[in-house]
Amino acid sequence: MPFLAAVLNTMGLVFLTHAIYSTHEHHSLTASSPYKTSTTAIPSFPSIPLDILIELLASTLALLTGIVLSSPALKPIQWSTWSSSLSRSGRKSEGKYTKENIEVLGEGDPFQFLGLDSVREGEGRRGFWDGRGARGEYVGWVKAGGKA
Amino acid sequence: MSQPNLLTPPAHISPQSALHLSQKAPLILSKPPTSSLPWPLSLLSSSESPETWTTYENLFYTCLQTGDDASARQILSFFSNRFSETNERVIVLRGLYEELQARNKVELEAVLKKYNQLISEDPTRFLVRKRKVAVLKSLEEMEEAIGECVRLVEESPTDVEGWAELGELYKSQNLFPQAIYCLEEVLLSCPNSWGAHATLATLHHLSSSSAPTPSIPSLTLSLRHFCRSIELNDSYLRGFYGLKVLSSELIPLLQNYNPSSRRNQHNDEEDVAPPKLETVKKLEELATGKLGEIVRRYGAGDNGWTGYEESEIAAARKLLDKEGKVVR
Repeated sequence: MPFLAAVLNTMGLVFLTHAIYSTHEHHSLTASSPYKTSTTAIPSFPSIPLDILIELLASTLALLTGIVLSSPALKPIQWSTWSSSLSRSGRKSEGKYTKENIEVLGEGDPFQFLGLDSVREGEGRRGFWDGRGARGEYVGWVKAGGKA
Repeated sequence: MSQPNLLTPPAHISPQSALHLSQKAPLILSKPPTSSLPWPLSLLSSSESPETWTTYENLFYTCLQTGDDASARQILSFFSNRFSETNERVIVLRGLYEELQARNKVELEAVLKKYNQLISEDPTRFLVRKRKVAVLKSLEEMEEAIGECVRLVEESPTDVEGWAELGELYKSQNLFPQAIYCLEEVLLSCPNSWGAHATLATLHHLSSSSAPTPSIPSLTLSLRHFCRSIELNDSYLRGFYGLKVLSSELIPLLQNYNPSSRRNQHNDEEDVAPPKLETVKKLEELATGKLGEIVRRYGAGDNGWTGYEESEIAAARKLLDKEGKVVR
């Protein structure tokens, strides 16, 4: 699919540029032509030939399809669908890294800061972080042999 | 389950992942984040990014957890050079460091005294006041911790974190009506939080099971909140687990339930109409089905189903196995 989108985008751009150039050429030719069809004071736009018109429309359509195909997947707009995808798959990688070489992850539970939903009570509530408890747990784990 | 991450750490950092994370400290700390050049030039050569300080803060927490005090001290000096000693968050980080240096109760009480002094200098230092609650809690002076937390939410009633903490403090003292009140306050600010609904449901359930006889209104309220939590998140393991436990408790109660005898009692909870027996049975079926699906697909490692906690899955499997249904 990304390949098809890239092909459509390139083709669309090339043909659109070509159609615009042709229109410009055609316009400048007919404007300087001595055989003007219009005799009124209002300058009338010369009509674009059918082949350029078709090229314009087709290239725009190809470009539009390519852009739609190459856009990222839509996010759910229903709360329950969105939140259930968060709980089912957890945080996903965004494929980017910070300067400290840390992976940037996608969004997670926005209410984690309440600390109501973690394995141990109150964890995630940063303002009330129980550092001594956390260190106690760590020391106990090390003494127990450091296995998971 | 993805690797724990310093930028967006999980709520629960297990000792193993804390060790893993704090081992990154030497590499990250090898380069100071701020430039040593004077002001206009420092803007050009600084390596700060929006994520830098979040990373440092999270690294600070894991270093404290694993006892890597040297790295913690280094991060602390980065923070106070960058944001000055008087910044409230820097004060809190320094306080945290001192809390963990305290080897006994007396030293911890000295930290508490320092917090008291900071608060009396400026009573709007809410972050420091939160630390004070946490220290009182680790000193196991629950009464004082609750009192301090009550003052905190009285003066800052929109602080959901404070309400959540107060609810948990009350719960630890088995004061369920007060805890329920606190969680309802949390819901006022975060009505879409599925976790808050599930916690409130758990509290209603606990208040019913701590009473001498199971109270149908409490269980009904609990059922309602569990239903709301899975309405907000339709793959919420804890919600389905609670729903299943609750409905299997409610079904025998509702079978012997006589609505006419209820009218004679005049409780405050009288306006909570119990659910219909068929509804509860259907809810139980739904919860069993969904729990089965979650356990099965997590076990199979299906794509997009691996975000659950191992321990939660184990609990769900145990609950389903108790019924004699083989899931796998």
